[in-house]
Amino acid sequence: MNDSEHHDSQLQSQTETTTTDDEELGAYVSDLPGILGTIDTAISRVESVLLAAGVLLMALNTVSNVVGRFVFQSSIYFSEELNRILIILITFAGISYAARHGRHIRMSAIYDELPTKPRKLLTIIIALVTAVFMFGLAWYSFQYVLTLQSRGRVLPSLQIPNWIIFVWVPVGFLMTGLQYALTAIKNMIEKDIYLSTNVLEGYSNDEMEI
Amino acid sequence: MAITIFSIMIVLLLLGFPMMIPLIVGSFVGFYSLFGGFGQLETMVQQILAGIRPASLIAVPMFIFAADIMTRGESAGRLIDLVMSFVGHIKGGLAVSTAAACTMFGAVSGSTQATVVAIGGPLRPRMQKAGYKDSFILALIVNSSDIAFLIPPSIGMIIYGVVSNTSISELFIAGVGPGLLILLLFSIYSYIYAVRNNVPTEPKTSWRHRLVAVRNALWPLGFPLIIIGGIYGGIFSPTEAAAACVLYALVLEVVIFRTLDLKGVYNTAKSTGLITAVVFILVGAGAAFSYVISFAQIPQQVLGAIGIDEMGQIGVLFVISIAFFIGCMFVDPIVVILVFVPIFAPVVETLGIDPVLVGTLVVLQVAIGSATPPFGCDIFTAIAVFKRPYIEVIRGTPPFIAILLSVSVALIFFPQIALFLRDLAFAK
Amino acid sequence: DTWRYAFEEALDEVQGIFAQKFKEEIEANSDHEVQLFPYGTLGESADTMEQAQAGILQFVDQSPGFTGSLIPEAQVFFVPYMLPQDTDALYDFFRNSKAIHEMFPPLYAEQGLELLTMFPEGEVAMTTKEPVTSPEDLDEVKFRVMTNPLLVESYQAFGATPTPLPWGEVYGGLQTNIIQGQENPVFFIESTKMYEVTDHITFTGHNNFTTAVMANKEFYDGLSEEDQKVVQDAIDVAFEHILDYQSNLQEEGLAAIKEAKPGIEITVLTEEQRQPFMDAAASVEETFIEMTGDSGKAILDQMKADIEAATGS
Ligand code: NA
Ligand code: NA
Repeated sequence: MNDSEHHDSQLQSQTETTTTDDEELGAYVSDLPGILGTIDTAISRVESVLLAAGVLLMALNTVSNVVGRFVFQSSIYFSEELNRILIILITFAGISYAARHGRHIRMSAIYDELPTKPRKLLTIIIALVTAVFMFGLAWYSFQYVLTLQSRGRVLPSLQIPNWIIFVWVPVGFLMTGLQYALTAIKNMIEKDIYLSTNVLEGYSNDEMEI
Repeated sequence: MAITIFSIMIVLLLLGFPMMIPLIVGSFVGFYSLFGGFGQLETMVQQILAGIRPASLIAVPMFIFAADIMTRGESAGRLIDLVMSFVGHIKGGLAVSTAAACTMFGAVSGSTQATVVAIGGPLRPRMQKAGYKDSFILALIVNSSDIAFLIPPSIGMIIYGVVSNTSISELFIAGVGPGLLILLLFSIYSYIYAVRNNVPTEPKTSWRHRLVAVRNALWPLGFPLIIIGGIYGGIFSPTEAAAACVLYALVLEVVIFRTLDLKGVYNTAKSTGLITAVVFILVGAGAAFSYVISFAQIPQQVLGAIGIDEMGQIGVLFVISIAFFIGCMFVDPIVVILVFVPIFAPVVETLGIDPVLVGTLVVLQVAIGSATPPFGCDIFTAIAVFKRPYIEVIRGTPPFIAILLSVSVALIFFPQIALFLRDLAFAK
Repeated sequence: DTWRYAFEEALDEVQGIFAQKFKEEIEANSDHEVQLFPYGTLGESADTMEQAQAGILQFVDQSPGFTGSLIPEAQVFFVPYMLPQDTDALYDFFRNSKAIHEMFPPLYAEQGLELLTMFPEGEVAMTTKEPVTSPEDLDEVKFRVMTNPLLVESYQAFGATPTPLPWGEVYGGLQTNIIQGQENPVFFIESTKMYEVTDHITFTGHNNFTTAVMANKEFYDGLSEEDQKVVQDAIDVAFEHILDYQSNLQEEGLAAIKEAKPGIEITVLTEEQRQPFMDAAASVEETFIEMTGDSGKAILDQMKADIEAATGS
């Protein structure tokens, strides 16, 4: 991008004040046909509820711990463990949600300079390779959870099996892999270039380009 | 093996793969060659999770949440109006205030990522409006946040102190000099930048207007009070202060200013979760990659090969600086400190170099490396929060890196920059 | 072969000294090489433990307290006032205890680990802002403890407000007065500079920090008899070395602290002063039995018998 273009987009974005915008995040409707689409939309809903609930619960838990210490002279003994559970939940519900909305961080400088045809090919390769590694991690994290289960370690404070806090991990990787696989398919079928299943490249100004 | 892995990673990175993929592929290849197959990939998963797990990371989503609520509502705007009413007429005043606010917030909160969100979030649009280029703004935010590594309380200093058996109090004091020097140099650069790019100033505000600004900002001034008073006053840990800010932000914006309804709170929580996930998966993938480097004892091999034992004091300090700088470009700073400090300890001791000087230099390199591409949590956070392309976030970085590197060279030749205050305080 | 050995402390702390001696012995008496991985270089305690179980690491040093979430019985080392307060009796106990040498190894074996040895790292002392001579002095003191139910229970019984805080936040927390106390052996108080942010070091005799070294069981069983003997001998030499190393460690640590901070108050509680702490903590033993059932009780009883034998001799 040259300097004058850059200046334009800067002027455009001057009016934006918030760090993020709800519209794009709120209105996800799957592009997939029939029952698949219904399932995909439903999964997206579940992910977004888990994300928001995770953050809100984390805030509630941490605040309660402070209040407990000052008002009742006693810390919530399991507060730290609960936060660990929540941070895993947020991260792994979030990565597939981010994949769905094309929000994963990437360095697109060279990619952006490519002509349309090779760029489309590269998009498909990137989506496929990413999907393969996500499926791989889903498999190995599933194995990891099984291993933890067989060892029977418990969380010191909550005294519940510690594999429970990791159940989101294989699910999150699997869902992320699916999103990338679908993105690859979408790019094979459609004429345009799709960054994720329903984010068209250049769909909004470069504020979105991450 | 190391060279193959690094090459693959850089190619994938440049092709535009999601940033987690180079790190994950690097770890896959590393695990494969270390253990002769995929038999130990569960440990890779373990390390990804270990990277995400530390309790102190909880402060990050909490500060992001609080900052997001403040920015969507009125609190942030009122605080900035207050700052502007005092500095708006000064050339580069807003940039200098932003740098100072980032340093201060980063120092107290202990989280440079939280700083990018909490200070950068509200101030970036205002700086854009004032006429600064976005690339300058982003680099200013990321780099000034990293000064916080040098200002107490500093988790980097604590870890260095523990690993190297050095007084943490002395380290804390030694970091202040270089930290303030860097802030000063950033301010000078900001001023020069504002003059050369002819960034317009606002007319000087009357004291009556300033008083109004103060009155408008009375409620939001509770935030610095909670953070600074709460943490230095011994009421909160940084994580708890972050949560207290969330609570306070909700009370202000939902109950008092009524700018946010419950739907708004829900959406803010969701976007906080998204930003957290996008950054944390990179932290996790980075941890898995660090494990490979650490397990294969790559740093030991490299340093053994260059023959550090035959160098003089200045040479060793340079090697230490370069090693930490490069290490932190690719790997999480805490891991770099844990792995490198024991390797350098014998030669530092043999040459009788002041461990406090080494510590200051190490933490300075950590700060620089964290803001330097390709791997840098603050860069990732800025990308995720501001939704700017990677290249745009790092475009304005070189002058800042140059300033930071010249301070580290200065520190090697004039250790008094760090040790002066220490010697004064501890009567050495 | 290259054997990998991870531990929970820095290279120049007790576990590191033990590991270095072990490495020295192995490399002197065999063709094997030992690579040492100090704290944090391969993850936290729980991580290195899992890696040892997975066979990535051949040896791992982990304190039974941390092992408690995996082998609940190992938490017996957190029952206050159980271990002998006298050094000779303590060493005697670790050398000869039937609980350690016969009852714990099968429990570790169930987790795929060969328990090689357990050794003490030094008496746990409290460092606090205000003097402590009785449980009343701990009233309203927010005391940082590791996340472990028995430790929480102990400090509650001592009258304090136990506050689990991640280790990285402890120094800062003491400095800003979020917490007013923490406990650790002297060498650790010195190396982690806890004395810089507290003013009193108090010896209440309630515990001696214990740690354990183990090997991956499959790896160990797969060794030739000759190699197993090399490992056992190296462990034995390192064990005696570490007891010897510790004979002056506490005094040296205290001297170094005193030199760095002359104003520090060091207090060793008398028998009478310790009594109220012992009385208060009696209930913790019951909690331990509740948590671990018959097998925990059997270990506890055996340990008591071992200790009696050690103190009697
Ligand atoms: Na700091
Ligand atoms: Na970096």
